[in-house]
Amino acid sequence: MSSKPTPSSLGTKPGSPVLEVRGLTVDYAGNRALDMNSFILAEGELAGVVGANGAGKSTFVNGLLGWSRGTPRINGKVFLNGHAISSLSTHERVRQGLLLVPESDLVFATMTVEENLAHCTDQRHSGDRRIYSIQEIYELFPNLAERRRHLGGQLSGGERQMLGIARALRLAPRVLLLDEPSIGLAPRLVSVVLETVRKLVDQGLSVLLVEQNVKAAIRVVDRLVLLDRGHVVASGTADEMRDDPRLAEAYLGAGA
Amino acid sequence: MNFAQQLINGLVLGHAYALIAIGWTVLLGVARLVNFGHGQMYMLGAFVTWFVMAKTGLPYLVAIPLSMTVGVAVGYLMQRTMLQLTIKQDLVSVMIVTLGFGHVLEGAAALFFGSTGQILDTPLSLSNIYIADIWITWQDIAIILVTVVFFAGLKYVIEKTELGRLIRMVAEDPKLAALAGIDIQKIYLGVFAFEGAAVALAASLVAPRTPILTSMGFNEVIITFVVVVLGGIGSVAGSYMAGIGLGLFTAFFGAYVSAAYSTAAMFIVLIIVLVIRPGGLATRPGGH
Ligand SMILES: Nc1ncnc2c1ncn2[C@@H]1O[C@H](COP(=O)(O)OP(=O)(O)OP(=O)(O)O)[C@@H](O)[C@H]1O
Ligand SMILES: [Mg+2]
Repeated sequence: MSSKPTPSSLGTKPGSPVLEVRGLTVDYAGNRALDMNSFILAEGELAGVVGANGAGKSTFVNGLLGWSRGTPRINGKVFLNGHAISSLSTHERVRQGLLLVPESDLVFATMTVEENLAHCTDQRHSGDRRIYSIQEIYELFPNLAERRRHLGGQLSGGERQMLGIARALRLAPRVLLLDEPSIGLAPRLVSVVLETVRKLVDQGLSVLLVEQNVKAAIRVVDRLVLLDRGHVVASGTADEMRDDPRLAEAYLGAGA
Repeated sequence: MNFAQQLINGLVLGHAYALIAIGWTVLLGVARLVNFGHGQMYMLGAFVTWFVMAKTGLPYLVAIPLSMTVGVAVGYLMQRTMLQLTIKQDLVSVMIVTLGFGHVLEGAAALFFGSTGQILDTPLSLSNIYIADIWITWQDIAIILVTVVFFAGLKYVIEKTELGRLIRMVAEDPKLAALAGIDIQKIYLGVFAFEGAAVALAASLVAPRTPILTSMGFNEVIITFVVVVLGGIGSVAGSYMAGIGLGLFTAFFGAYVSAAYSTAAMFIVLIIVLVIRPGGLATRPGGH
């Protein structure tokens, strides 16, 4: 409820921090699944978070939303656009523009594609943030246009990912968090989805991309963070990270 | 017993069943929640109505909204207590908590209202209508009218309004709904408050038909359960039809076979229907 602006919110020029994490920890029944000292996502940036199964990637993005299934203890501070949001509930963070496309169950299965898009939008809380129109979304994801009358539950994995991302775009994102959008997709579709994400970032969106597919992710991200057992063990620009031995290790560890 | 009288009795009873079940139709059918304290909330609604009329002398039309207000408070409080369980969709715990809540209500009601039976007389229940040899009261007519209007209104709200859509989205996937910016706590609290109001209204209208006891809750929740499951979970119209079907069944079974076994017979019908049509009557066989 207190949302004091920090100095960083005063000038929101491109490149200033739009999402900032300080001392974020998540514990499941006493087991620390995430311990992240600091993390900053700059405005207009596409940052990748990679790591093996169980590294804490989903725990991280869920924790940013304060989502608490399975009673995790979430501690630490999260700032969105300079405002502290850690004390807000999940839907309030969403209304501030922090959008998560979760790992699974990412569409309303009993609603059609078009209903998913039409009903998951919120002009009241969008402020100055952009809401993509359904038409713009169909241009971005032609597959969805074809399937507009199909139920969410009838879509393929790739179409679900697209609909998940598209739905988030209808909710005026300031920051988009994507939890493994490439999971289960054919290689060609992985490129399509990730390149669309890149396109969104080039249009001004800030995105945090969780991926196990390091090879595909590193082609589109600006910066890469490697998580291992809940800790950031390496981070740098895509070019710096390409040759990082720890990344190679984790990448092989992921078995891809 | 003549056939026409049984038919009328069955229809009145059926509308009464449907009305009692309306809160649950929304809870289980729409929001995917349960409340096994429902029967005791019905009991409480009946006793509050009785208390207001008998002890303060206020008219029936004032007693009804007062009883509904108590129902809203109880429903809200109950959901407030178990909100975390609800959000985690821990239905077994929700079941146990609501069961416990019901027993607490029953104990408290026995303390407060005494454990002797009472008669809830209303101006409507005391005015009889005779048509040929058929007997009906204005209370019965009120039950039918209110039930029809309530169900029609509910169907409209659930299917056609923004609020109905939000409830359906929360029911389908609370996490995804929260991630779409919906205040799911508010929806859950609202649904329980509605359940409280609806069951209290039902009690104010239906309880005058029989003597009221603080121990009568269990029977009511069982009937409600049968109506909602038989109607096909998720279907407002289904609950209405199931209520009427069950009312007719109970009336005729009671008149021509044995009133003592009508609850047992009700369950046999439920079991048979569920085996033939696992989704309840409202769904097509094999459909979703
Ligand atoms: N609900 C939960 N209860 C207990 N422990 C959990 C829960 N969810 C996650 N964990 C634990 O937290 C750790 C991190 O899990 P998380 O789901 O964040 O991993 P991840 O990096 O997203 O893995 P994946 O690539 O498989 O999705 C794991 O050790 C996991 O077992
Ligand atoms: Mg994960």
